[in-house]
Amino acid sequence: MPHSLRRGALRLTAGIALICTFALAGCGRGGDTAATGTAEPVDDSPATGSVDVWAAQGDADVLEKVIEPFKADNPDVKVNFTLIPNGEYYTKLQSAVAAGKGPDVAQFFPESQAQFLDPSILQPVPDGLVDKGTFFKSLWDAGVVKNVAYTVPWYAYTYALVYRSDLADKAGVKAPTTWKDTVPFLKAMQDAGAGRGLAADIGWDIFNGQDVAMYAWQAGGSLFSSDGKWTLDTPEMAEAIKYNASFFTSGAADTSTPTFLDAQPYFTSGKTASMITGPWVIGQLDKAAGKDGWTASHVATAPLPAGDSSGASFSAGGSWGVLADSDNADASWKFVRHLAEPSTQVAQYKAYSSLPAVISAWDDPAIADQPLLDAFFTQMKNTRAFPQVTTWQQVATRLGKEIEAVAKGTESAEKAAANVQAYAESVGTGAE
Amino acid sequence: MTTNTVKMTTGIVNVRRRRGGGARRTAVAWLFLAPFTVVFLLYTAIPTVAALGFSLTDLRGTDLRHPFAVDFTGLENYLRLFRDQSFLRDLVNTAVFVAVGVPLTMGTGFALALALNSGIRRLRGMFRTVFFAPVVTNVVAVALIWQYAFNDGGTVNKVLGAVGFAGPNWLDDPNLAMPVVILLGIWRNFGIAMVLFLAGLQAIPRDVYEAAALDGAGRWRQLRHITLPLLLPTILLVSVLLTVFFLQVFDEPYLLTDGGPLGSTESVALYTYHQFGAGELGMSSAASFVMLVLVAVVSLVQFRLLRSRT
Repeated sequence: MPHSLRRGALRLTAGIALICTFALAGCGRGGDTAATGTAEPVDDSPATGSVDVWAAQGDADVLEKVIEPFKADNPDVKVNFTLIPNGEYYTKLQSAVAAGKGPDVAQFFPESQAQFLDPSILQPVPDGLVDKGTFFKSLWDAGVVKNVAYTVPWYAYTYALVYRSDLADKAGVKAPTTWKDTVPFLKAMQDAGAGRGLAADIGWDIFNGQDVAMYAWQAGGSLFSSDGKWTLDTPEMAEAIKYNASFFTSGAADTSTPTFLDAQPYFTSGKTASMITGPWVIGQLDKAAGKDGWTASHVATAPLPAGDSSGASFSAGGSWGVLADSDNADASWKFVRHLAEPSTQVAQYKAYSSLPAVISAWDDPAIADQPLLDAFFTQMKNTRAFPQVTTWQQVATRLGKEIEAVAKGTESAEKAAANVQAYAESVGTGAE
Repeated sequence: MTTNTVKMTTGIVNVRRRRGGGARRTAVAWLFLAPFTVVFLLYTAIPTVAALGFSLTDLRGTDLRHPFAVDFTGLENYLRLFRDQSFLRDLVNTAVFVAVGVPLTMGTGFALALALNSGIRRLRGMFRTVFFAPVVTNVVAVALIWQYAFNDGGTVNKVLGAVGFAGPNWLDDPNLAMPVVILLGIWRNFGIAMVLFLAGLQAIPRDVYEAAALDGAGRWRQLRHITLPLLLPTILLVSVLLTVFFLQVFDEPYLLTDGGPLGSTESVALYTYHQFGAGELGMSSAASFVMLVLVAVVSLVQFRLLRSRT
């Protein structure tokens, strides 16, 4: 019985306690540094010195190669990358920020970065560094708090419907455009030979919470009122939860669909016929099927079916910010500016299939010539940002947990919505 | 055995404190203790005290940048805990883990130890290794295999299907997920129980059994009147170790089900972890303290109950 493993949870608590102890002992970033961030313009002279960059493993794995033009144009700058496993990224960053030992530049995720948008953590984006109008609006908006922008978008994704065109053709159905048509479409593909119409995500976690939040928008609801209060127990939210549950109760999806790693092999082998997922899968399905060109002949994409109000999805991706403590803000911002250039974002797409956050970069033939990405581009223009409050992650996680009970028929959608609202009210918005 | 006892006793009697050099000896003792003390203070004592402090505040993950702005809320977190239906459910889940897991793990370990101690002596080494393997196997790898085995179309259901039973969806059924998680806990731990029992059994002098056999005691009587009484210290040790393990059970439910479905396998330790992940550091600290108290109380009761008989 290894004690060390057994005490995982306690150790975790102890670890953070230690960090806090140091912070309380005076090593932490005090509130007095809050206003040190400046928004001074950044000139065009070459960057110098060293820039420490933290990013989550994944899309950033290829950055070293992608930024070679930047290194060529700025020979006197040294960029040091630290890649951190995705699941631990925010925890490590948060701890480093609290201890005043963060990097110069850090990667964020627009859908969950609100907790960092504070002048004590990040510097405001300097005036004129980038043109905010060139990015997808919701991605830019995700970095703005009280009219101050703290992050610059890097890559973008949203969800769309990815389905087996061969099975849809066999069943004689077309991609659904409304909620009402969705389950019949999924069931038709099931009747045409698929194991299940939809490969549902069954983690019952923050990602499920985000899905249902997206359905709530489609039903005409909003998660947050204009006067800063949670509005999660609305009829629209209950409709969204019911819509999500309908995939399971109708038999179009089941609660034992594969885990993340199996999702693609199940799809290519016909065990499932569709996914509500991001654009990265397009580039990976040939490999899962073990045949070049399989995707082009078997797969189609469509924007998400619309609810009573719209077919809005959420915007997500990656973004960059410069930490308030950075000793080399000038070079850091020049690095971020380089990452925001369309040519860099196209290079990033070619290296890792991360789709650009700059709209014009989608015109590059590498992307524009791929018809399966069209639905994602259409959907990207119809996205909204999640509430920019520090407790959104907590609330979305609880939402993800609550909908499990509805999908399994042990709780009503209204009760689940009320539970989430009660929880959201208890954690508040994190506003000071 | 008798000689050993005499030697040990003599050794103890002969230990005498030399005159002079006491301070030097104390300094040397501290020198040797220092590495442990430092690690203990840094990673156990200080964090524990700090966590107790945090459990009395409304500390959240986002407050780490403004630690001085945290409010003292007294016992509010503890009150919230005991008003939280999911925490109460997790307390019950943990009690089930202990109530089912501990006796079954001990029983399996004891039965195997008895078997290994009596017959199949030549193969004892091999069996000991085989049964101990789960203890030293990477739990993440094991959990992954179990997950596949108990999936809807997994190995277990395939075997059941082969003999004409339609297997259920084990890990997605709130009533079946718990037994699977407990089974993994038992599988991972019976090896250590077995090894400890085996060591205990081998320490019982054979002549006691021979004398009992001469007096006409059968195997059952020998087990009841010799083995079990002489094994009580080992039973105490194993039961306390296993109880502490199952009270803090984390890896198994985390890796197999992450507490689901519908929270049916969430333990108190997992609740603590989930609260931490949700940024509720105050609540997380409070839950970890409740667990600490539980472990302390249950261990103390076990020691009291069993020690009086040893």
